[in-house]
Amino acid sequence: MTVGDFEDRNRERWAEYERLVEDLEKGRKNADASGLPRRFRELCIDLSLAEFRMYGERLEGRLNELVIRGYELLYRHRRTGWEKIARFLVVEFPTAVRREWRLFWLCNLVFWLPFFVVMLSARHDIQWVQAILGADGMASMDAMYGGREQQVEHLREQYGANFMMFGHYIRNNVGIDFQTFAGGIVAGVGTLFFLVFNGIYMGAAAGYVNEACDPESFWTFVSGHSSYELLGMVVAGMAGMRLGLSLLCPGRLPRTRALVEAARKALPLIFGAMMLTTLAAVVEGFWSARLLPSELKYGVGIAGWVLHAAYFLLAGRRAGHAA
Amino acid sequence: MSAYEAKVDTLQAVELAEGVEIRLRMAGPLLRLAAYLIDLCIKTGIWIVVFLVMMVAGVALGDKVTAGLLALIGFFMEWLYPTLFEAGRWSATPGKRAVGLKVVQVTGSPITVGQAFLRNILRWIDAMPFFTYGFGMASCLATRRFQRLGDLAAGTVVIYDRQPALPVVAAPPPIGAVPLPVGLTADETRTLVLFRERAGLWSAGRREEIADQAEVLSGARGAAGVARLMAMAHWVQEKRQGGGKR
Repeated sequence: MTVGDFEDRNRERWAEYERLVEDLEKGRKNADASGLPRRFRELCIDLSLAEFRMYGERLEGRLNELVIRGYELLYRHRRTGWEKIARFLVVEFPTAVRREWRLFWLCNLVFWLPFFVVMLSARHDIQWVQAILGADGMASMDAMYGGREQQVEHLREQYGANFMMFGHYIRNNVGIDFQTFAGGIVAGVGTLFFLVFNGIYMGAAAGYVNEACDPESFWTFVSGHSSYELLGMVVAGMAGMRLGLSLLCPGRLPRTRALVEAARKALPLIFGAMMLTTLAAVVEGFWSARLLPSELKYGVGIAGWVLHAAYFLLAGRRAGHAA
Repeated sequence: MSAYEAKVDTLQAVELAEGVEIRLRMAGPLLRLAAYLIDLCIKTGIWIVVFLVMMVAGVALGDKVTAGLLALIGFFMEWLYPTLFEAGRWSATPGKRAVGLKVVQVTGSPITVGQAFLRNILRWIDAMPFFTYGFGMASCLATRRFQRLGDLAAGTVVIYDRQPALPVVAAPPPIGAVPLPVGLTADETRTLVLFRERAGLWSAGRREEIADQAEVLSGARGAAGVARLMAMAHWVQEKRQGGGKR
């Protein structure tokens, strides 16, 4: 059979198939989707024949394209629904964090060790902390937490200032989460850098405020959103380290394969980190700067940590085992 | 890995469960750069509109609120703009769609939201150092499927969406059918057939130059070699099966 014969014999069938695929691609209602699998298999056979008989690039290319279009229709993924999001919140995310508990403690250590070392160093010698913050950093700490009279609350009195800070926190902090994660692909170096850097800088800020400003105005401000923000950062670090470790110790897989597997495991972590950091921005934007009794603000901060501990320890345990 | 065989084109074969192989045509860095530049123009356009709207809206909302909105839009444009489009129906950003590219899984099936997200968050590393896309380019050139780091991690590839139709040019008609003197592999036979199909695109001199590379097969140089190769391709395509009925 020559190319021409083959085309003549099947032209009509291919045209019908193409019409059907086009209808389905455009989402037209009249399309008879139930006929697609059979027609698709026929097309697959036609393509195999054409390739085996070397019918040439023009015909093979056309059939190849038709097969790909049908394949994409048949294997289309269902888009994310509410059910999936709820399942992510209640089961997948906490389960993923528990599964990576080693990375959880590693990332905590990498952040908290520099934090406390730098913060406590201020008590003995404040010069280190001053050097880290720099003149601008110290000036802004003074402006925000200088004393009871010139607190951060006053900076938020203008209309819309809370919303402005909310937007700023989203862009800045979620962006840093993403960078912490992406930096993991360079063998974890980028992730470790961001964790250590944040530990040092936040430690310096806390140490400086403890010595030179009004500590109460600082700690009451940060307590409310601390659990969301710091855990979000740590979880983003876990996701990054998962990527990095897959390249450093891929086990028995080739590195490219190990990377794909690690990325799949890291995905719920980075989504979760994004969620936590977004919540942190809400709290930091609209709650933390309110002028309220210190006891209440500390209480809300502690409640946040307790809730997170309960969430990560308990949520989705039964469903997680079943899965 | 010994899987790196010399290839004559950028096609990657993927076997489907239906027992057939489809060929995905991988997109190289140059075309993807073009898509990126188009997206950059679109994003710049969006920014101009956003700034104009915010200047007007700022009168009513106050400058703090507009600053907050600008930060949120900035976050979206920096991180989520490509994800949104690639996870959607098109599987491609507007720029990719304009130049005829799209993103699929390595297996050829449509990408998931998670994969679109992954490959675009990792774009930040690919763009290093200093937004030159040096890392991404190095990764593209080092992998068989032109994958940047984000593609590697997400398990995705960028391919030509609809393959451009070959221009139909009348090739010189074969003089006769000559059976292949030796057994050829499938890829070699395909190359021979492609030579015949594309012969019309080249000048006579260029045809001879290419045909001379296959002198071992045709046993002749120059115009005679071209004619012999064409006759063999003709035999492969039309006379090989069915005992040459026609």
